[in-house]
Amino acid sequence: MRNANGNRLATVMLLVMPLMIYLLFYLYPLLTVASQSVDNSTLYEQFQTLSEVVEEGSPDERAAALVADLVAADRRDLAEAARNLNQERSGFRSLLINSGKKAEEIPPTMEGLIAFDKRWGQQVYWDILARNIAPITWRHFQKASGFKPDGDGGFVQAEGDDIYLRIMVRTIVIATQVTLLTLLVGYPLAYAAANGKPRLATIVFMVVLLSFWTSILVRTSAWVVLLQTHGLLNNLLISLRIISEPLQLIFNRFGTVVAMTHVLLPFAILPIFNVMRTIPVSQSDASRSLGAGGVETFLRVYFPQTLRGVAVGGGTVFILALGFYITPALTGGPSDQMLSYYIADFVKKSLNWGMASVLSVMLFGCVVLILGLGSGAWLLFKSRKGGH
Amino acid sequence: MSNVMKVIAVSGIAVSMAQGAQARDLTIAGWGGNYQDAQREAYYTPFADSKGMAFTETTYLGGLAEVKAMADTGNVTWDLVTVEGADLQLGCDEGLFEVIPWEDIPTQNELNPNAINECGVGNVVIGNGYAYNAETFADAPQDWADFFDTEKFPGKRAVRNLPKWNLEYALLADGVAVDDVYDVLATPEGVDRAFAKFDQIKDDVQFWDAGSQPVEWLAAGNVVLSTAYNGRIITAKAEGQPLEFVWKNHIYSIDSWAIPTGAEHKDAALEFIAFVSEAEPQAKFSELMPYGPTNMKTAGMLADDIVKDLPTGKNTEDALFFSDAFWIDHSDALTERWNNWATQ
Repeated sequence: MRNANGNRLATVMLLVMPLMIYLLFYLYPLLTVASQSVDNSTLYEQFQTLSEVVEEGSPDERAAALVADLVAADRRDLAEAARNLNQERSGFRSLLINSGKKAEEIPPTMEGLIAFDKRWGQQVYWDILARNIAPITWRHFQKASGFKPDGDGGFVQAEGDDIYLRIMVRTIVIATQVTLLTLLVGYPLAYAAANGKPRLATIVFMVVLLSFWTSILVRTSAWVVLLQTHGLLNNLLISLRIISEPLQLIFNRFGTVVAMTHVLLPFAILPIFNVMRTIPVSQSDASRSLGAGGVETFLRVYFPQTLRGVAVGGGTVFILALGFYITPALTGGPSDQMLSYYIADFVKKSLNWGMASVLSVMLFGCVVLILGLGSGAWLLFKSRKGGH
Repeated sequence: MSNVMKVIAVSGIAVSMAQGAQARDLTIAGWGGNYQDAQREAYYTPFADSKGMAFTETTYLGGLAEVKAMADTGNVTWDLVTVEGADLQLGCDEGLFEVIPWEDIPTQNELNPNAINECGVGNVVIGNGYAYNAETFADAPQDWADFFDTEKFPGKRAVRNLPKWNLEYALLADGVAVDDVYDVLATPEGVDRAFAKFDQIKDDVQFWDAGSQPVEWLAAGNVVLSTAYNGRIITAKAEGQPLEFVWKNHIYSIDSWAIPTGAEHKDAALEFIAFVSEAEPQAKFSELMPYGPTNMKTAGMLADDIVKDLPTGKNTEDALFFSDAFWIDHSDALTERWNNWATQ
């Protein structure tokens, strides 16, 4: 009996194991990114002596602490810390690296530091140090939101600092545009595949799956070839004498939305098709025999039953579209780039993983919020319907 | 249960043995396109053949993200990389690149003094200017003022999506003398002036990221003007594309070879660097790819019709030498402002 229980426990453990492993591999990167966004250990470890006196100490105490930290610093770590501080003020990097190189010769007083480089006499450098040497930093969040402390416990936003919020809004707008277009194009196609003649259904399916299996990069590049200034579409329109000058169809919002819609179309068509397939034809026949016209039958009998597929397909497309990077980068202009572009930019070009993490957290928070609102609305809709 | 443990243990050993046995080849990261093609023909293959060793290539698009990730994780997968000056200095200060033992580079006295760095050996002089499609305009654009003149030269123009080079171009277009560019750009008024110039072409800007894009876009007519590296344009021209490079007030910079810290084939990488610093391989490279040599003996080995397309000699008389020091200090603040401008 005991043995049987033990075996059952082992079985349960084995069954649960994949889920646990999945959760671990899912949560671990998320938590790492989230902690990167506030982690300030590079600066904190570098200025431990200074951090004790930076708020209250006299100028000479602060100067002595800074020089002591510089003397103790490893050259490479100091360079990394200096690069981080340079994000706050141009020139801070060279100031700190130069001071670090000569740290042993600098007299540990404020006068000595200023004699070495007169910039140490400016309060702004000390303020930046004071703000940024705690173990945890909010400066990336402040930069991403544009809201900075105004000194009286409140927050202010300077003009032009809302750049990342604007990009977040743009990301949501583009994702919405793409979702709507995908559903508009995908619904009739799914209908044709589910209710059309077998041959038509096969053709629709082959086209959808073929594009589903083709690499995103290839499909995106194909749109560049199609839509460019002397591309297939412009040449066709010109040869048909519909237009005389080539239209600007790519490197703008139009090109971005068209290419993204095409890339994401299968994610809308497949769930809608799946739901449509389960709706018996006899229902529509019944509705027609009871006197409803074609339009009324579709609107009152058929369409409401497909809404589940539309919600799943639309939701999938929307979430995927939010994180798009390569398609807008290749087919969009400067004002069509989405948040992922800037995340990549921070990692690749300026090595600023803090900002990249904050923007990732923003994007993730946005997805969670929208998913929450979406499923809330769906539950409300269903309970209303149930009440009838 | 014990059987399961056995399987896990055996597969664990197998995996670790596979990793231990997996010695990789000398791995070289270049900038792709015909730049890397020329490097392969002039440098990679002759070097590997002479040593009887194999090599692998990969592509690199600037920045320090990959090298930093390799250093942080201890999994260094590159042995050599061609880097721009500012990245070389940043990476060197943070210990991402090996310090070069200069006594191992026999040709060091033949090299341009700008090519000698603590962690890198300058190898390629690059002309940064702009190009146009000769079939688009009857009158050729002449200078930076023309690049920013959308009335004389209407149409989309492509620039690389970062402030480096671009702000210098804007000031040159606005009439700042070559010698004053970085002094003006160091002041807030100078930065405003450069962005005001970019405001004039705001609606016509298209960003490129990879050095091959300007050639593709100019050839396809997607843009009418594009900033570009001289090498890409002149190679494309030699292949029959109707593209022209504008040499007036171009900015020249030096790409260097560097070795990521902890690279497995560090010794071979150093031998490679010594080889590519010799005059003859550099001459072969410049014949294949119109970038300038850093070995000062090379120019004398090249024919005149090759030298006329290189960022060297007469072409550099009114040119500006790119300031890595300026950009190391100002890149963060100006990149932020640039992104802000680009997304308005």
